[in-house]
Amino acid sequence: MTESQPEHGRYLFAFARGLDPARLAGVLGLRGAPLEVVEHRDLQAVVCSVDLEEFGEDRLKEHLEDMEWLEEVARTHHDVVYAVSEVGAVAPMRLVTICSDDASVRGRVETLHTQLSEALSRVEGRREWSVKVYATRPAQPETVDAGRPASGAAYLQRKREQAAQRRSTGDQHLREADEIHQTLARSVVATRVLQPQDPRLTGRADTMILNGAYLVPTGETDGFRAVVSRLAELNPTLEIELNGPWPPYSFATLE
Amino acid sequence: MSEIQSSVGGQLSVRDASQISLVDLLDRLLGTGVVLAGDVLISLAGVDLVQIRLHALITTVRADMPVPRNLQGGGTDG
Repeated sequence: MTESQPEHGRYLFAFARGLDPARLAGVLGLRGAPLEVVEHRDLQAVVCSVDLEEFGEDRLKEHLEDMEWLEEVARTHHDVVYAVSEVGAVAPMRLVTICSDDASVRGRVETLHTQLSEALSRVEGRREWSVKVYATRPAQPETVDAGRPASGAAYLQRKREQAAQRRSTGDQHLREADEIHQTLARSVVATRVLQPQDPRLTGRADTMILNGAYLVPTGETDGFRAVVSRLAELNPTLEIELNGPWPPYSFATLE
Repeated sequence: MSEIQSSVGGQLSVRDASQISLVDLLDRLLGTGVVLAGDVLISLAGVDLVQIRLHALITTVRADMPVPRNLQGGGTDG
């Protein structure tokens, strides 16, 4: 007698508290599956059923390299988390977390109850805002027109000067980014600095010098916006991009 | 509804973020969020996330990418 593999799993979008499931009516999960709310103690998990043929370990790695697949799953995941964040406190899951069944989901809530409760309290009534700062691309060193160096020493000297110039531009960017981050940090509840995005990813020639996430109480959004606006005025040579509100992805983490 | 405000020459201007960029989305969905260990059937914990981002990178380098200014031929910059 062989035990058959399970065909379906429970895909977790988020943990939540104070959620009225009726307010998620009309929001669909992955592949059109209905959203369901699994309750345990005072917490909730927002889930939908997924076919393990598609999301099982074997196929998943292939799928993750398929940008169309990844984008569709990522956008659906985000849409659900966003909808939940509009109607309750939310701790979003990382992309693709699947439990075998509701009992297993409840088991995770039971084990992590204290940490999840703390995370939800940290972000309740607050939203995440993204602030990215770009530096205008520094001028390219004039290597082409500089002519042939008179000697090896002159060549090395030129190389050293170019390296020093790059370093000082880099230092200046670090200082500017840090100043902006510190100013923003004073007006928010929590901050997190993410890795600046690679220019090949952003498709922009400008260097991203800050990729920050800021946790702002919903009632203080205008004040935060004003601070960003002021920073933009003070730094006309930088481009500052404010993007949000996001569900608190960067702040509802455990521990 | 999300929005994007960006500054040019010190002035913030607002536009609707009808579509969040995939790069921004993956920044958060792969880099932050709650990670479960233990009794979980499937998770990305064991998957090389850098590799996924690399693929995102390759496919986002497309024809509609703006050409850096210093590579644009002739003409003055408006």
